Amino acid sequence: MKKALAAIGAITLVLAPDANASPTWTPEDLATIRSLSPQTLPKPPADPSNRVADDPQARELGRTLFFDARLSANGKVSCASCHQPAHGFTDGLAVGRGIAEGSRRTMPIAAAVHSPWQFWDGRADSLWAQALGPVENPLEHGFTRTEVARLLATSYGRAYRRVFGRTPPDPATLPLRASPLGDAPAQAAWARMTPTGQQAVNVTFANFGKAIAAYERTLAVKPGRFDRYMAGLMGETRGAERFTPDETEGLRLFIGKAQCVTCHNGPLFSNGGFANTGVPARAGHDADSGRGAGVGKAVADPFNCKGPYSDASPDRCEELEFTVRKSPELEGAFKVPTLRGVAQRAPYMHAGQVGGLEAVLDHYNRAPAAATGHTELKPLDLSPMERRQIIAFLRTLDETGRKPLRRRSQ
Amino acid sequence: MTGSVRPHTRGDRRTILVSLAVIVGLTVTPAFARPKDLDRSLDRASDHGVFRIAVHSTRAPIPLFRVHQWSLRIMDPLGHPVSDAAVSIDGGMPEHRHGLPTAPRTTSTEVAGEYVINGVKFSMPGWWVLKLAVRAPDGRADTITFNLVL
Repeated sequence: MKKALAAIGAITLVLAPDANASPTWTPEDLATIRSLSPQTLPKPPADPSNRVADDPQARELGRTLFFDARLSANGKVSCASCHQPAHGFTDGLAVGRGIAEGSRRTMPIAAAVHSPWQFWDGRADSLWAQALGPVENPLEHGFTRTEVARLLATSYGRAYRRVFGRTPPDPATLPLRASPLGDAPAQAAWARMTPTGQQAVNVTFANFGKAIAAYERTLAVKPGRFDRYMAGLMGETRGAERFTPDETEGLRLFIGKAQCVTCHNGPLFSNGGFANTGVPARAGHDADSGRGAGVGKAVADPFNCKGPYSDASPDRCEELEFTVRKSPELEGAFKVPTLRGVAQRAPYMHAGQVGGLEAVLDHYNRAPAAATGHTELKPLDLSPMERRQIIAFLRTLDETGRKPLRRRSQ
Repeated sequence: MTGSVRPHTRGDRRTILVSLAVIVGLTVTPAFARPKDLDRSLDRASDHGVFRIAVHSTRAPIPLFRVHQWSLRIMDPLGHPVSDAAVSIDGGMPEHRHGLPTAPRTTSTEVAGEYVINGVKFSMPGWWVLKLAVRAPDGRADTITFNLVL
């Protein structure tokens, strides 16, 4: 028995340094770490521009539409073709591929409801305005708004009426393919429509987006190891997990020396803004001006918060009203994406220019000059080990279930 | 606390020691230091003493990530309200070399010397500055920079 006790004592001594290696955080560190907690994430903000935003029937209609590939020129492309639920609502490609190859990477959408601006360049100011863009993009769905209205009338008439209290326009009165943004024949067909007919189609098209937005609003990020580690830091014992030393130091670097938290802050690890981080232009293409061009599109979009198809009074459209329209900072700036689930979303940046997390950290460490505009980055002087530790931390942001516990011998 | 902690190795301990060295180094050389004597007063004389200017958020605590409104009061050094001034607003985060995420605008109220600043937004915690340039109808002009730590 004595031998056994002595052995246990020896083991305790050997293990003691590791047991004490649990990190000490300053109150400022803890405040920063706490600000990253999903518990600080408010409910999805109200969208006054979409009166069916929280309507369960609109959500169900939107969910069905999200997966309906008939909403495309070739009958094969749905929203879910690129925004794949099994892949964090992205597709693992450098640039999205619908009817043809696009120019930017597919964005995750589970946290998008919390952002005032959608798309990499923020050219839409709501989820519903965003949902309309790809449908009429010839590289994505290649569809037109009259085709959307026709499909809603023929396949979703009852559900549409339940949600919006009216039926879509009679398909017999609509051109087959017409849109102010389409190809030449579609634009010509649109021009031949009466203003009243155009408006009826636009209302239906906007409602289509609003139903999809009602679905997207319900997509929530799922907690991962980081959240369970943080729960432990905050004193919870049930379900809490420890970090490895590398993960701990990665978090310390993330909120400290590496300055990641400057932009990747809050419970979604995004400030919802735009930043020029000097990422290279997509190979073989000109530099993309990003927000520099996107802000003008958002302001001019007839489907924005202040437009005729919005349900909001103009004084509720503060983001649009007070957005920065002209500034050198907008050139080459792109939306700061959430880092939740980031390790599962390679390749990175707005056109998948950077292949893996190692290359991402290398980019931030070097802080190269911007392809257009001016980068906000400065070199970080991170050692290879520090970069590895940050990556170890980033992997804890994966939306993973709790790993089964291994029983420890007593 | 329960946890799925893998067994520690000698390599881990080396990692910890090196990491500790890094942390010690960090505390010595912070990347961007905020001035220690940062004046956080929101009611004081403008840069050249032309006005006395006060601002405050109409929401407390000052919200993050949300567009909100501030109040502004402009007086002359004798305490007389200054109405109908043209006020432009700039600002940002000096430590991070970026500007304000929105373009706030000021409008007069019916109360002499009182204004509202609409469209203010702060997109992260930290040290922010709000820079006001004020030009009174009689031509008097001055600037002021307010410091906020959120």
